[in-house]
Amino acid sequence: MTLSHFLLVALALFALGLYSVLTRRHLIGLLIGVELMLNAASINFLAFDRFVVKDPATGQIIVLFIIGLAAAEAAIALSIILSAYRAHRSADVDDLDELKN
Amino acid sequence: MSSGTLALLCTHAPLVGCFGALVVLRRAPRAAAALNILAMLASLGAALAIFAGSNHQPPTIISLWLSSEGVPISFGFLLDGTNQLMGIIVALIALCIQVYSLGYMKGDPGYARYFGLHGLFAWAMLSFVYSANLLQAFVFWELVGLASFLLIGFWFEKPSAAAAAKKAFVMTRIGDVGMFIGLILLLSSTSTLDIAQLMQASTLASIPDARLTLIALLLFCGVVGKSAQFPLHTWLPDAMEGPTPVSALLHSATMVAAGVFLYARFHPLFVAAEGVSNIVLVIAIITAILAATIAMVQRDMKRVLAYSSISQLAFMLLGLGAGSLYAGVFHLTTHAFFKALLFLCAGAYIHQIGSNDMVTMGRQGAAKLRLVSAGLVIGAAALAGLPPLAGFFSKESILAALHGAHANAFVYGAYLASFLTAYYTFRMVFLVLRPSDKSVLPAEEHEPHPHGDVTGSMKLPIAILTVGAAAAGFAGDFIAKLIGAKALHPTYGEMAPAIGIALAGVIVAFFEFGRKDAAQQGFITRVGALDTLFERKYYLDEIYDKVAGGLVSLIASVSAVVERGVLDGTGDLAGNLTIATGDATARMQSGRLQLYIGSAVLLIVVFCYFVGGY
Amino acid sequence: MVLSAIILTPLAALFLTLLIPARNDKAIKAVSALAGAVTVALAAYVWFKFDPYSTARYQLVERVEWVPTFGISYYLGVDGIGVLMTMLNAIVFLTGALSMWRLELRVKEYFAFMLTLVIGVFGVFVSLDLFFFFFFYEVAVLPMYPLIAVWGSTRKEYAAMKLTLYLMAGSALLFPALLSIYYKSGLNTFDMVALSGHKFSEAYQIFVYPFIYIGFGVLAGMFPVHGWSPTGHVAAPTAVSMLHAGVLMKLGAFGILRVAMPLLPAGAAYWNGPFAALATCNIVYGALVALKQDDFKFVIGFSSVSHMGIVLLGINMLTIDGMGGAVFQMFAHGVMTALFFSAVGFIYDQAHTRDIHEFGGLSKHVPIASAFFIIAGLCGMGVPGFASFWAELLVFIAAVKTMPLFGVLAVVGLIISALFMLRVLKHAFFGPANPKWQGLRDVTAWDALPRAILIAVLILFGFIPRLALALIASSVRALAGGI
Repeated sequence: MTLSHFLLVALALFALGLYSVLTRRHLIGLLIGVELMLNAASINFLAFDRFVVKDPATGQIIVLFIIGLAAAEAAIALSIILSAYRAHRSADVDDLDELKN
Repeated sequence: MSSGTLALLCTHAPLVGCFGALVVLRRAPRAAAALNILAMLASLGAALAIFAGSNHQPPTIISLWLSSEGVPISFGFLLDGTNQLMGIIVALIALCIQVYSLGYMKGDPGYARYFGLHGLFAWAMLSFVYSANLLQAFVFWELVGLASFLLIGFWFEKPSAAAAAKKAFVMTRIGDVGMFIGLILLLSSTSTLDIAQLMQASTLASIPDARLTLIALLLFCGVVGKSAQFPLHTWLPDAMEGPTPVSALLHSATMVAAGVFLYARFHPLFVAAEGVSNIVLVIAIITAILAATIAMVQRDMKRVLAYSSISQLAFMLLGLGAGSLYAGVFHLTTHAFFKALLFLCAGAYIHQIGSNDMVTMGRQGAAKLRLVSAGLVIGAAALAGLPPLAGFFSKESILAALHGAHANAFVYGAYLASFLTAYYTFRMVFLVLRPSDKSVLPAEEHEPHPHGDVTGSMKLPIAILTVGAAAAGFAGDFIAKLIGAKALHPTYGEMAPAIGIALAGVIVAFFEFGRKDAAQQGFITRVGALDTLFERKYYLDEIYDKVAGGLVSLIASVSAVVERGVLDGTGDLAGNLTIATGDATARMQSGRLQLYIGSAVLLIVVFCYFVGGY
Repeated sequence: MVLSAIILTPLAALFLTLLIPARNDKAIKAVSALAGAVTVALAAYVWFKFDPYSTARYQLVERVEWVPTFGISYYLGVDGIGVLMTMLNAIVFLTGALSMWRLELRVKEYFAFMLTLVIGVFGVFVSLDLFFFFFFYEVAVLPMYPLIAVWGSTRKEYAAMKLTLYLMAGSALLFPALLSIYYKSGLNTFDMVALSGHKFSEAYQIFVYPFIYIGFGVLAGMFPVHGWSPTGHVAAPTAVSMLHAGVLMKLGAFGILRVAMPLLPAGAAYWNGPFAALATCNIVYGALVALKQDDFKFVIGFSSVSHMGIVLLGINMLTIDGMGGAVFQMFAHGVMTALFFSAVGFIYDQAHTRDIHEFGGLSKHVPIASAFFIIAGLCGMGVPGFASFWAELLVFIAAVKTMPLFGVLAVVGLIISALFMLRVLKHAFFGPANPKWQGLRDVTAWDALPRAILIAVLILFGFIPRLALALIASSVRALAGGI
């Protein structure tokens, strides 16, 4: 198992996340995509931490931050999605285009 | 009182009257009139008191008016003989006319305003006369123009009066612009505008010849405008739209006389300027004949007198242009009396009969007004230059001055003009006093003022001026001494042709209009084309209107189009382009979240590619 | 402290206005009028306190360091020009507040914006620090948008937007140029007196001068970027037109005199020919366009363009006569246009039209209200007896001496001014009285007050021009001497 194996997995995860962010119509789908990308980033951090950096603490701290951030983000995003749904009776991104023009 | 204080009193008393009438006493017209007449009396008294003092004084400086770097202008009075003489004439005539107006304007709703404007006028004119320097003179010269604008347009509800006032202001303004530039050139050449100092030979000699000629010509522009000389004369006949006493005021000693007076004041300059006197003579002779021919065919009494004013002013300029200060000033003096008299007589007829038309006046029994008719005959004889009345002496001295050194053409021109003067003057007299039933009555148009009987307050000024018109001619030597010029005493041999010519004019007029069963048709009517040409005033009004008016209007229209189309258009275009750009870029904000994210990712990739070098 | 007091008076009035309930509109108007009277008194105090014969160029100086790092200080002081302009603003402010006595729409907001405008204008006239100068300049310009867009008439949104865009474009030219002067001097100060002591290289001056001149020139109604001003005058409500044409346009010319010329004398000497040519265009072209207008306010608007041309022409003569005349004309024209708009406003408020052809014989129905306009018109034609005559006289004398061609053209422009002014008088005030306006009410004594004050000022300086000229003489001499 070398560094590139981990990076490839992370890349695949990131690509999947990006893909779902760009193509999912439902807001929850988008949120899941964002979580995938965050996790891909976390894997990268841990991988670099393991193979490149001497002091293993740095990457782990950042990953812990990312996890905390992802939890907070999910909480806020879900509440936004909920209130958007209440207001528009829809959670479809294409319907939520009030900021256009 | 010192002469400075007297001059201040003389010039500014009417201003008090003006302010009182226009602001304080608007609702008390009789009090306003009384105040103004009192003020005018004070002016006249002060003018006489100044005259009683010495007549060779240095200019009295009251205060420094304006001081900028190149322009030290003081406010002061020059009280030499010429100014003393003019001041008395102005104050006297203005007073006579104000007294006359008491009766003439009775019942007019603008009574107080009328007297207030009279006060304004008298203030401006007297201050102009006594001015110690050219700029001060110019200030009051403009104010005289302003006051005449307001007086001509006194009956502002009449469209023709409003138009006439505008025309008077604009035409004189054209001349004034020339004069103003001349004034600035004079200032920059000599760095003084003090009249007494300017007229010293040493000052004049210090100006280069070409410059001096230019300055003289530019100043003459002002004279042409103010004194209604060809080609700027067309405003004066229209100025008849004002009340008749106003015409009397404007035409005798004031407004139009201001131009000639300025010329007289600057006589040394005009003499020193090479080639200018010939131009002056040419313009004067053209004006004299042109105006006299038009006067021959007018039926409106005031218009005849208006054209006669133009023609007589040209005579004064002939005298001055020929180099004789005496002749010009003398004629200015005598003309002031008899022209004021003639206008007041015309006003009396208009007041009584209610028409400006001479034929109508005759039919309605104008001759029954005995005193007025006597005044008319004496004034007319003075105007025609019959001995021994005022106009005779002054006109003879002008002709004598012309005889001196100038081409015969001018002399013959002047003879022609005097013949025409005698002719049209007595045509007027006979039409008014010896009516015949042969001529046709015109369609009616008259002044919008309440008519009534000629009152005593109207008769008194007429009587005074009649005496003046009869006697002023004998004051020649006195005037010469006062203004310090050489009097001209033509011999009987020199006078004979002029007397003969004037008599010939009277006789022709008598034959055509005065004798029993006269046809009351002028000889000029036999030549239809000329008759129409004179009747239509050489079409000058039309030509000016079409050519100059049209040109200005065209340029103005082009400018307005440029403003709307090009300048505003460019501004609007810039604004609209900005808005259009905004609209176009706003379209990129589709509100599609995923589109934003996609383009962001794409941009990051592109950015990394270029920055990272991959 | 008196200069600070002049700025603080309208500021205090502004706070007071914000505290008064909107329904109490009489009190709001009274506060503004009172503030106007106080500023007139303060300006008069400054006038008498200022010693024109003293060697100190700027007097009544106040200075407090504000941001030493950037060399910004609260630095006030006046020279003769500043004194005259402060007086002008105070007079127009007072009479403007009095002229709006009949306003009913959103009185509170209106006076709040107007006071802001006044604060800005006072600030510009007394600031000696470039930073504060520009700050107050923008404070003065900005309230114009709401004032026109809300209380205006005749295409008001268009006019307000146009005005704002033009003035912002002018500021866009100014701001980088002023900053560049700040950096280029290397003095690390915005103090204008110190900056004017620094000698910039000639090439730099020639490069920067037009930016500043045109930047300020936009506000001064300079040809060909004058387009905002007639449109703005027309659309603005009475007192705003008065302040706008009377004072705001003077800010532009004042900026040229206070900033452009002392800081960049070589630039001024290099560019004065072309700018004098443009000023001549202002005079002649403005008058010609005015000749074809049918709206009272458009006539006055273009006449302002023409008269501001006289100011700009005088400034570009760079001689004492020319600049002195220009400064005097700024004052005279300010008072005169204020009178114009005040007089027109009175008629418009009742008749709700300003087309000169719809009137006729107004002098019969409303003689006194007409007299006010006619007097302003006479003043605009340059008739002696009014202040503007002397101002124009000095400028023309300087112009004919220095640049004869432009001088003569400008003098000929006088004929056209007479033509367009007389045209308005003839159509609207003379001629047969139009029975439609039978019911117009003439001015009451209270209505007449602001107009009478303005006329009194015009006549006072028309008869005794020395009052103003002595005041500004040394300042103008110093200014002209620097070039």
